[in-house]
Amino acid sequence: MWLSILGVAVALGVVTDDQRIMTIAIQTYILAALASSWNILGGFAGQISLGHAAFFGLGALVTREMWLGGQPFPLSTLAAMVVTAVVAAIVGVPMLRFRDAYFSIGTLALGVAVFLTIGNVRPGISSLPVDALREYEFTGPYFLALGVMAFTVPVSMWLKQGKLGLGMMAVRDDEEVAGASGVSPLRHKLMAFVISAALAALAGSVFAYFSISYYPSFPFSVVWTFEAILVVFIGGIGTTVGPLIGSAFFIVGRYALASNTEEFQVVLFGLLFIIVVLLLPGGLVEGWQRIFGGSASDVVTRAMETKTGETKGKELV
Amino acid sequence: MSKRTLLVLLAVVAMVLAACGDGEEGADTTGAGAATTTTAEPVGETTTTAEPVAEAPSSIVIGAVVPITGAFAGGGAQVERGYRYAVEAINEAGGVAVEEFGVSLPLELDLRDDASDPNQTTSIMEELGGGDIVAYLGGFGSPLHAAGTAIAERNAIPYLGVATAIQSLHEQGYRYYFSPFPKSPDVALSTFEMLNGLLPEGERPLRVGIFQETTDWGEELAALWVSEAESHGYEVVLHEEYAPGATDFTDIILRAQTADVQALLSLPTPPDGFAIYQQMGELGWKPPFSMVVRAADVPTWNDLGPAGEGVLFSAGWHPALGFPGIEPMNERHIEEEGRPADPIVGGAYALVQILADAIERAGTLDHEAVRDAIAATDMMTVVGPITFREDGTVPITNPLMQRVGGGVELVWPAESATAELLYPAN
Repeated sequence: MWLSILGVAVALGVVTDDQRIMTIAIQTYILAALASSWNILGGFAGQISLGHAAFFGLGALVTREMWLGGQPFPLSTLAAMVVTAVVAAIVGVPMLRFRDAYFSIGTLALGVAVFLTIGNVRPGISSLPVDALREYEFTGPYFLALGVMAFTVPVSMWLKQGKLGLGMMAVRDDEEVAGASGVSPLRHKLMAFVISAALAALAGSVFAYFSISYYPSFPFSVVWTFEAILVVFIGGIGTTVGPLIGSAFFIVGRYALASNTEEFQVVLFGLLFIIVVLLLPGGLVEGWQRIFGGSASDVVTRAMETKTGETKGKELV
Repeated sequence: MSKRTLLVLLAVVAMVLAACGDGEEGADTTGAGAATTTTAEPVGETTTTAEPVAEAPSSIVIGAVVPITGAFAGGGAQVERGYRYAVEAINEAGGVAVEEFGVSLPLELDLRDDASDPNQTTSIMEELGGGDIVAYLGGFGSPLHAAGTAIAERNAIPYLGVATAIQSLHEQGYRYYFSPFPKSPDVALSTFEMLNGLLPEGERPLRVGIFQETTDWGEELAALWVSEAESHGYEVVLHEEYAPGATDFTDIILRAQTADVQALLSLPTPPDGFAIYQQMGELGWKPPFSMVVRAADVPTWNDLGPAGEGVLFSAGWHPALGFPGIEPMNERHIEEEGRPADPIVGGAYALVQILADAIERAGTLDHEAVRDAIAATDMMTVVGPITFREDGTVPITNPLMQRVGGGVELVWPAESATAELLYPAN
């Protein structure tokens, strides 16, 4: 099924040149990748970070600076991921000593502080140079965004099915019990924090490549954090495919409502979100289960698990 | 790792590598946007045998992205009225003649709200660019224009904007951006020319203070104010920066008071400007001369009462300038709003006049032809005669206005002034 979805997405990029469709698709893929990265920390390791945009923004900032400065894009992306991972490791050690709401508030404060600082330090708009603007095509960003989104799925699967991911989930469920069982809570939370940040930087890197013009502080905006969290909850927290489904639902829904309901779209989307969360606490993935049945919480994971005959790592929060 | 996972990873790697290439294949497959602007003319001898009959659209669609909500809503409302009045007037006069179709077509304004968010500006412009608009009309405030013009350039669609003074945007080499509005050098120069022109030596506010927001336009205009102040015999005794959206300005106000600032120059967003002057009122300090670019453009500035009285601003236009066409527009504004046309309404109205004139001269809705026609503009509008420089700016006298007694008086240039400069205003 996953390969079928990927095939359809690849075909879409080949057959269409409709600017609106391409824009919506790219935004969906970027948000899905960001949400997947948050899901590793929030869904697998149970650490509700409200400062995730700081890593998305850092990825975008480093990539844009290096790329527009003349460095090859892949090198810029790699550098962005490394820098972000190092920063996350440094910040994560003290931050992850906070628990529950204190960790959330701490990360929120971090995100807001970074956002304001970048806004002051880099106040000017970042636009592509004129020559690049005239040659700009959507194809490159489209397949890059699709590739990055697709990359996050096997990474999530690998984590969820592997020892590291199981350790994260054990810490999520009960830190004391996990610690008593020989699973280091800080180490596993830190690994989730760093991997999650590096993947967020990768998504930010695509944003920097795709965006023609934006203020450097924008990718650091808390909006990115909350949209990623919304998407994860809509799709299904702790699942590998939930962020993808949630992202498609969120972006397409937002466009559809914006086109047809003008200023009421925010209210309508809020109501829709409340209904989804109330009726489907496991997100749209749970809705899929209710309609189509089955014992697995994640259709993609189910397919993978059926292949290997295993059932580990299937759960909803 | 299973074979299927491995296959997925390989596919991902292949796609990423393809995406990071130089994209020549991509240009071949998705170049339709650019092609539509270049293939409007029939190619080769086929045109001699059968002249293609172009089917006329029902209207000429103009895409406007305007801040109807958010920090720039007060200015956006003026821009919206200017566009709407001009479209109404042109349609009532029979629309715009388009030679390609052999008929006159009405203008249709597709106006969207970007909520004063430059990131929404870009995404809405992307969406509009995928449709059949002939040109973009911009909103209010330099951040929104700065974000939007790059999109217009990428889409090769003409972009006209007022209520933006940022000069650096015209130094990017853009071909499709036109702005018949005073720019930062005009604003900085006119500030001190007016002071020296209207106030005798010995009475001038020689001690200048600047409240600068940390934006690209803030940096640009503040630097120009500093250099113009020095060259006109003034001393900058205070230069304070603040982040847009700040709420407490007490510290910098007290510093200005301590530095004995006599002329306070600033360019805040409307909410920031209101906060600054409200807090100045609460602290009981006001300099003899205040210039508030942008924030004082909005009519609700008068709600500040004495704290906002006598503040000068630069909005590019005033109905007293007396150019042809002002009178009916002004009457329309009075009918709807109960007061003479707000300053930005005139500039916005002129943009539609310029675009309509360019379409008629181009004789087609082709973006490139319309762009060339705009560049060659030489016409009278409600903001005066317009011809564009190579960089999309216009040679324009920058009128300066003052908020006096709940109204707006034109104080500069002196020959068009409706009132004498209220000075000192504290």
